[in-house]
Order: sequence, then C-alpha cells, then structure tokens
Amino acid sequence: MEMKKYKAKKRKSEKAASWIAFAVLLVLGIIFLIPFLWIMITSFKVDIEIHQAGGFLLFPQTWTLDNLAHIIDPNNMQLPVFRWFLNSMLISGIHTILAVVIFSMSAYAYAKMNFKGKHVIFLSMLFLSSFPAIVNIIPLYRIMLTLGWLNGPLALIFPGLSGVFNIFLIRQFMYGIPNELMESARIDGASELKTFARIVLPLCKPILTVVGLFSFTGNWNDFLWPSIAINNLDRLTLTAGLQLARGVYTTSPARMSAVAVIAIIPMVIIFLFAQRYFVKGVSLSSGVKG
Amino acid sequence: MSKFKTKITPYLFIAPHVILFIAFFLIPTVFGIYASFTRWNIFSDPEWIGLDNYRLILLNYESTFHRQFWNGLRNTIVFVIITVPFQIIIPLLIASLLYLKPRARNFFQAVFYLPTLLSITSVTLTWIFIFNRSLGLWNRLLGVDVNWYGQQPFAWMTIVITTLWWVIGTNMIIYVAALNGVDRSVLEAGSVDGAGGLRRFWHIMLPSIKMPVMYTVVTSIIMQFNIFGQPLMLTEGGPSESTFVLLMYIRNLAFGTGNPIAGPASAMATALGLVIGVVSVGQLIVVRKAGEGD
Repeated sequence: MEMKKYKAKKRKSEKAASWIAFAVLLVLGIIFLIPFLWIMITSFKVDIEIHQAGGFLLFPQTWTLDNLAHIIDPNNMQLPVFRWFLNSMLISGIHTILAVVIFSMSAYAYAKMNFKGKHVIFLSMLFLSSFPAIVNIIPLYRIMLTLGWLNGPLALIFPGLSGVFNIFLIRQFMYGIPNELMESARIDGASELKTFARIVLPLCKPILTVVGLFSFTGNWNDFLWPSIAINNLDRLTLTAGLQLARGVYTTSPARMSAVAVIAIIPMVIIFLFAQRYFVKGVSLSSGVKG
Repeated sequence: MSKFKTKITPYLFIAPHVILFIAFFLIPTVFGIYASFTRWNIFSDPEWIGLDNYRLILLNYESTFHRQFWNGLRNTIVFVIITVPFQIIIPLLIASLLYLKPRARNFFQAVFYLPTLLSITSVTLTWIFIFNRSLGLWNRLLGVDVNWYGQQPFAWMTIVITTLWWVIGTNMIIYVAALNGVDRSVLEAGSVDGAGGLRRFWHIMLPSIKMPVMYTVVTSIIMQFNIFGQPLMLTEGGPSESTFVLLMYIRNLAFGTGNPIAGPASAMATALGLVIGVVSVGQLIVVRKAGEGD
C-alpha cells in the first residue's frame, strides 16, 4: 500500500517535471528558431518597402519570390550562387567518395591484416594529426602552387583526405566484425580486395554513412582554405563565395536573407534524411556510449 | 610470388592515405614550423634568419607585427574565455531537460542541433541583419538604438551569441548520449532520498557524466581558438580592431594585398599552435587525474 502510494506520487512528480522541461524547452526552441523564421519572412519582402517603412517591417506588405529567384538565377553574375552550388556539389561529392574508399581501405588493413609496423604507423599518424592545423595552411598554399592545383577543384578535394580520425572510427567498427567471416572467404580463394569489398564493406554501411556524411558537410562548410586557395569568382565554393554577399547586399535585407535561405536549404534537406546518423556520429566521435 | 603478394598487400591498402597524409599534412606542418624561422614571401625560397621572427612578434614593441600578434592573441583568448563556459552550460541544461522526457523531445533536439550543420557564412548571413542598427530585429524588439557592431561590449555579444547558436548542438548530443548511458536507477536513487532537482543535478547527474563533460571542454576550447569567420563577417574585426582575432592577422599577412609576409605569419601560427597544444595537453592531464580519482 505504501509502495503504491509512493509510486503514484513519483509518477505525478515525474509528469510535472516533464511539463516544466517542455515549457522551458519551448521558450528556448522559439528563441533558436527566430533567426530562421526572420530570414524566411524577410526573404519574401520588397527592399523598397522596408526602407519606406523606416527600415523595419515585421511582415511583408507585398509577398514576393523575386529575391529568391534573383539569387538562384544562373545569369546572376554579381553573386553566382547557382554556379557556386554546382562547384560545391562536385567538389564535396568527389571528396566524399574518395574519403569513404580511401579511409575504409586503410581501416581494413589496420583492423584486419597483419603487417610490420602496423601499430607504429597508425598511432604515430593519429598522434601527429592532433597537431593544430593552422600551422600548415601557408605551406599548403605553396604546395598547391607547385602542383599547379591552385584555383582549381583538386586543391579543395585532396587536402582533407589526409585526416586520420575517420580511419580510427571505421577501424573501431571493423574490430566488431568476426574474423571467421573473412577466413572462410579466404579459404574459398577470394583475394584480399574481394574479401574487403564483398564481405567487410557491406557490413560497415552504418559507420561508412556516418563518415561520408561528416566528410561531405565538413568539406562543404570549409571556409578559410577555399577562400585562400581560389581566386576566380566563378570557381569558388558556396561557403567561400557567400562571404561576398556581405558587400553586395549591405543595404538590402531582403536579398541578403534570400541568400541565407538558399544557403541553408541543402543542409536542412540532408539533415531531414540523415538526422539519426549525425546524432550517432557525434556520440561515436566523442567516445560516449549512447 | 604469392607469399610476396600477401606481404605487400596491406601496404597497398594503406598507401593512398599514408601518401596523402605525408603530402598534405606532415610536410606542410613541418614546413610551417621551419618557415617561422625564415624570411619568406611564399614564392621564393625561404631564407633562414633564426629566431628573428619570434623576437619581432613577441618582444619588439615598435613593430606592427608585435602589436598585431598580441592584440590578435588577446582577442582570441577573450573570445575563448567568454564563449566556452556557455558552450558547456547551455547544452548541459538542454540535455538535462530533454532527459526528463518532455513532449516533442526529438523535435527540440533537432532544432538545437540543426545550426551545427551550417557553414559559418550561412550562419553569419542569417544573423547579420538581426543585429543591424536601423534595419534589424533586435533594436526594434528591445526598443533601443544600439550600434551592435560598432561598440563594445556589443560587438563581442554579436559574435558570441551567433557562435553559441551555431555550436551548442554538438555538445548537447554528447550529453544526451552520456545521460542515456547512465543507469536511471542511480539518478532516481537521489529522488528517494528527497534530493531536490538542482542538488540532484549537481551531486548525482553531473559526476556520472564527468568524463564526457571534460572531453567537451577540451574540444570546445580547441575549436574556439580557431575563431575566424564570425568576426570577419560580422564586425570585420572592429570597432578599432577590438575583435580582430589572430587568424585574421595571419591570413592578412600571408594572403592579403601586397607582398606575402609569410615568415612572421608562420611564427604567429606556430605560436598559436603552441598555445592550443599546451592548453589541450594540460587539460588532458587534468582529465587523466580526475579519471584516476574514481
């Protein structure tokens, strides 16, 4: 009887706590969403009307799609957003494919093959890679100059493939795959490459999805390096190119908001499809069991 | 032949990455440290001048590089000190609220996480007009006339608020995962003893996720030492260079208009790298010690 009473009381207090949590989160969530809502609403406004209203309009007087259309217009030479978008798709796409292939091959060797210097090579790379990357950016520019890659997509595709942490993540995952699976394939006469591609890779899909997503978004969002390595306006990536919007639309909030909306849409789409992989990836990288 | 093949195969598997690592990480890093001891304009061959660049940026009070280095480093550190505590506390708060299983839990988590996937340019373009003096939302909502970008401490506030909106989702996810990993009965034991919410959080919840919190402190500090895009886009380093951070100076020296001054720029980069290295190693030692205490 006592216990029952206690449990009921506990359930009641849990319920109260969850409602308080909901209320607080609702307020925080609205605060978080305001910038998104604000640029969305503003992107439908007419700049002249904003200025006529004394510089501020909460809601559009006239709703227009002109701003958004102007920004994605392929003939927009001042701010070739459409072109930058294609550049970014190409660069980040190729980067991601190469990253998944190269990282998983390395991880397979470190996790499942025996060779001299295996641990020394991997651990020293892992250790060295923690060295702050700021130091290498000027020489990297010089190397790209020597290779003739400056101002082109190769300069943006390859440097990011030198990372070690993703190999570490895939390797950890591969340790969980039983060796017997590979042994039997080898006994059947499959080559190492075949064993890797046909047996191990399909089992690694979850971790490869995580690594692929983070490689794609990481490369897509890189700002400092592309803004250094690319000089031609029409060869920039979306992330680096958008820096120029600041100067072009200083006095036109509607146009600027349209730029921001267009820039955000691709990531929102990726997020909607792959939310659970991002969440999984973050907790995996931090080493937290979740 | 076959034996030779099995011997060489593993090296073929790791070769592409090892080559990329050497070409695009190891060589540039070593070269970057070497360049800090040279006079160099990127295009010619560097010329060894010993510690002159370091003397210039660290000790020579008449040099512009000295002023830029210390101003940039100070501003960077100010930013780290203001931002990191919030970057830990706000996600901790959100994660513990989510732990109470409120309605629309997944929706809230998605809202707070989404900005972390955006580039720094999309984030700053989203915020840039919100803080605008005459065209912005903030001044109208609050009914004030503040020159956010042109006046301190408001210029720092724009940068810190924008940054927090951008980054807190990552730590939140880590804390949510960590709390899920803790046995609920441990946390509930406190409620039987009648420990209040805040006390329970402090004495039971927080210690049980101590390691992930320590981890995020280290990663957050390293991340924020690399600040560059926010002041560049929002304040352009102003007012009067009070938000001009070290990476902005380094980039201007090496890749700005005019002849690249890569020697002092490399010295600044190496010094910043050293500061980041020392801070993170120091933290790791603290984390180790704390871990042994358990």
